[in-house]
This record gives sequence, structure tokens and C-alpha cells, in this order.
Amino acid sequence: MQRAAEHTDESLIAGIRQDDDRALSYLYKLHYPMVAHFILSNSGTSDEAKDIFQEGILVFYEKIKDGTLELTCQIKTYLYSVCRRLWLKKLAEKNRFSGVIDSENFIGLEDEPVAPEETELKFSVMEQAMNQLGEPCRTLLEDFYLQARSMQDITEKFGYTNADNAKNQKYKCLMRLKKLFFAAYKTVAPAQ
Amino acid sequence: MTETEAYALIERYLAGDMTDQEASDFEAQLLQDPILAHRSRQFEELTGTLQQFGRRQHLKQKMAAIHADMEAETAPEILPAQPVLQSDPKWKMFWKAHATTMAVAASVAILTVFSTLFSIQLWNTMGKQQTIRYTELRREVEKIKKNQRAINRAFNQNQKTPKNEINPGAFSGTGFALTENGYFVTSYHVIKDSDSVYIENKNGNRFKVIEVYKDLDHDLAILKVTDPNFTTFGSLPYTVANTDAELGEKVYTLGFPREDMVFGEGSLSSQSGFEGDTAAYQISIPLNPGNSGGPLFDDKGNLIGVISGKQLDAQGAAFATKSAYLMSIAQQLKSDSATRVSFNRQNTLSGRARKQQLKKLKDFIYMVKVYN
Repeated sequence: MQRAAEHTDESLIAGIRQDDDRALSYLYKLHYPMVAHFILSNSGTSDEAKDIFQEGILVFYEKIKDGTLELTCQIKTYLYSVCRRLWLKKLAEKNRFSGVIDSENFIGLEDEPVAPEETELKFSVMEQAMNQLGEPCRTLLEDFYLQARSMQDITEKFGYTNADNAKNQKYKCLMRLKKLFFAAYKTVAPAQ
Repeated sequence: MTETEAYALIERYLAGDMTDQEASDFEAQLLQDPILAHRSRQFEELTGTLQQFGRRQHLKQKMAAIHADMEAETAPEILPAQPVLQSDPKWKMFWKAHATTMAVAASVAILTVFSTLFSIQLWNTMGKQQTIRYTELRREVEKIKKNQRAINRAFNQNQKTPKNEINPGAFSGTGFALTENGYFVTSYHVIKDSDSVYIENKNGNRFKVIEVYKDLDHDLAILKVTDPNFTTFGSLPYTVANTDAELGEKVYTLGFPREDMVFGEGSLSSQSGFEGDTAAYQISIPLNPGNSGGPLFDDKGNLIGVISGKQLDAQGAAFATKSAYLMSIAQQLKSDSATRVSFNRQNTLSGRARKQQLKKLKDFIYMVKVYN
């Protein structure tokens, strides 16, 4: 924690923007106890605290990545507010929430959607589709689109005779994923 | 154009792999071909979602790693603390939660106990001091003992019907005649709280008396004989002194500290009484309960006081109310009362030897028996 002094909110955000794992790690470890304390003292378990906090970090992280984050307060306060709201929502779902948890006023983020249902749905559909896709398509797509490996690497890894074969294979896989994905998730208007 | 080919094109376009010519051609084609446009949108959404999803998965993995890392770091610190927290027995938790309250309650309790003990102690010693220092000399009669004796006597007399056993009363004191016609003096404390009072002398004369005058301040009471058999006490041999007696005067008294008359002799040791009471004398006569109300005579047989009590924590310090006060209430009585109250004016004792004096006196000294 000697590094603590070096990390201002600005440097942390910059670090996350540059995919600096140390910044993320530092942020995580710094603020987790606060959120964990809040959730544990409001009828939550440590597993729930972990889930909520990671969800909060996720929101924060993605907002930084999207460049949509408008931080009007400290990161600490922001994270606390987000996690608090996530937890209240969860409690309401569990029907365990009765009355006010704390009367302190935190920066109102009520108008800001924490995690849009739309995106959540999309991701869950995507996860299902990927699971249904099966090997080697899944790994192939993950390697190409997620880890941005070159077609050459992929060709060697999967033992294709040449890069064109691999490319064809990739497009076939993408076709299948497309079918699986849009079968469950229809937003794009069908072709006329 | 098959779908696969279309995707390949779209991908190349999006990745910026196309030449400018190709790109502008493709853009024109997109506008014209709605199927291609639709495919393009689908492709963008699909890959975009895939990448976002991937990023999110990646982030989640990273966070899981960080969390595990963090738990590993803090575990050694937390673990030793945890068992203490959990293994706290209920009484310990209760104690921790209520320690302050209990401490306050305990100290209040302790304080109460000790202050109570202390005040009881104090009260007792105060009470004792009072009772110890001054005692009124009326006698509590040993009723039971006497009843026992009476019963034994009855058996010894071969079960003859016992004579009417006289109730010895609850308290007894001494008293003496003030006037021939039945006025009688004793200490007020002897007869206080009484139902009925009888007087009895050595000759066995027994009369019922009633209280006619009392002086609480000087502990004096004047009684009157109401018995129908009573005619007169006879001519009194003594006079009541009006003036204070001298220091060192030889004085004596007759009283009934027990069933028989007892003579006590001493001197007048001080002209003031208990705690400087100027209404009384201090005398050095050994006195006992039952002597109260007895007359105090000087050498010449003048009545100079009425025995009232003694100091317990001092040797040979007894007290007698001065006769001057007796005289003053007797004067009041004289003026109040319709009946004749005449005092003896001639002392027939003066100049006689002590034994002769006592012989004459003893008929006028009575035991006062109090019933309640």
C-alpha cells in the first residue's frame, strides 16, 4: 500500500483507460472493504458483496472505456453509490428489503442507468450462443475477435492447411453464431 | 454473393483493409442493396456484442483473480481474528454489550448497601448514646418470674385456694405524700402511658390514685388518692424546701428498687443536673430502676428534690428534680383546685438521728405500681 499515495483518482482512471491491470487491482483492493462492510451490515453475505462490488466495478470500468463517465465526485463515493443502489435493487428483488438502510445522502445517480437491461440481455444471449456453438468454432472466434490473434496464428494453432481455409472456417462459425444469436435476440430489422 | 462472401467483404470494410476505391464501391453497394446493408448491421452488432462480451468476461476473470489475490493477502490477518469473534460465548457478548450498564448498577448497589449499613450504624450509636447516657429509673417488673413463684407457693400450700394474687403491674417506681389529704408526688415518666396507678407502702396500705397534674419539662406528676377507704396520710413529718440546697449537703432517699424499701445515702455533688440542667441536682447516691419519683431529703429531713434518673456513662451521677419546681406546680395546683391543698409547715424530723427520721418517714413513702 505504499503505492497508495501515487494513485489519485485521475491517475487511476487514466490507468484503467490504458488497460493497466495494476490500476484496476489497486482500485479493487482499495474500495472493496467499504462496499463489503456496507453489504455485510445490511443482511448480505460476503459472496453477495463480491458480486455486487464486481458489478459496480464493471459499470465503472465500462463507462470509462466508453468515455461516458462523468465523474462529479470521488471514485470512492461513486462506487459506493453504485453498489448501494445495486444492492438495494437486489434486496428489493429478494423481498427482503424493508425500510431505509441508511439515511445518509449519497450523490444521486438515480437517473443514470447502472446496467441497462438491454445490454444485459444481449450479453446473456451471447453467452448462451457461444456455449451452444461448440468447439472448435468457439475457440476460433474467441481467438480472433476477443484476443485479436492474427489469422496466421490461428491457422497454425488449429492445423489448417492455409489461412484462407481458416478464414472460411471462421466465417462459417460466425454464420452459426449469427443464427444462434439472432434466433434469441431480435433487434435488427429483418431484410426487406 | 453468398453470405460468407458478404461477411468477408464487410469485415474487410470495417477493418479498413479495403482500398479507397473498393471502400467507396462497397458504400455505394450498401445503399443500393438492402440485404447487404442488413447483413452489415447484423455483422456489426454481432461482432460488437461478441467483443464487448469478451471484454466483460475478461474483466470478470481479472477481478476474480484480484479478489482471490486480495483474500490471500488478508487471510492471514483475518483468520486469527475470526475464531475469536465467532467463539465468543454468549455471556461474553452479553458482557461486552452491557458492561457499562452493569458497572453502574453494581456501583449503585454497593453504594446503597454501604450507605445503608453506615446510616444504620450511625443511628444505632446515636440511639445508644442517648439511652446510655441518661436513664430513667422506673422498674420493669419481672412479671413472669413472680407469677411462677406464686404458682409454686400455691402448690406448697397443698392446693389451698391461693389468696387473690395481686398483679404486680408492668412498671414500678417510688412516690411520696405531698399533703395529708391525699396529694401524692412521683416522677412523670413512672406513670406515663398508664391505665391505672396504685400506690402501696411498707405497711401494706394500697390505694388507687389518679393523675391530676403533670409537668413534662421537669418530669413531675401530682397524683390524688381516689380510694374510698382512704382518709388521710397522717401528719407529714417533712417540709418541702423552697430554696436550693447547698453543695456538699448530705442527702438521702428512700425508694423501692425492689419489693422492699431501700435506703440510699450520698451528697449533693452539683447544683445542676444532666447536661447542665439547672432544674435538677446531681447527687452521689447509688440508684437503681425503681428509685424514680423517690423523695430526696437533706440531713434535717427537708424535702429538697425528686429522684428522676442517672447518667450511665458516669460513675455515681444521679439526678433529682429540685423541690422548688415541685413547689411551683403545687402552688398552681392550689390555685386551680377547688379542694383544699395545704402543705405541712412544720418539720418534725430536724435534729433527730437518721434512724429516727427513717422510722417516721417510711409510712409516707410508697411504691407506685403502674398498669397498662
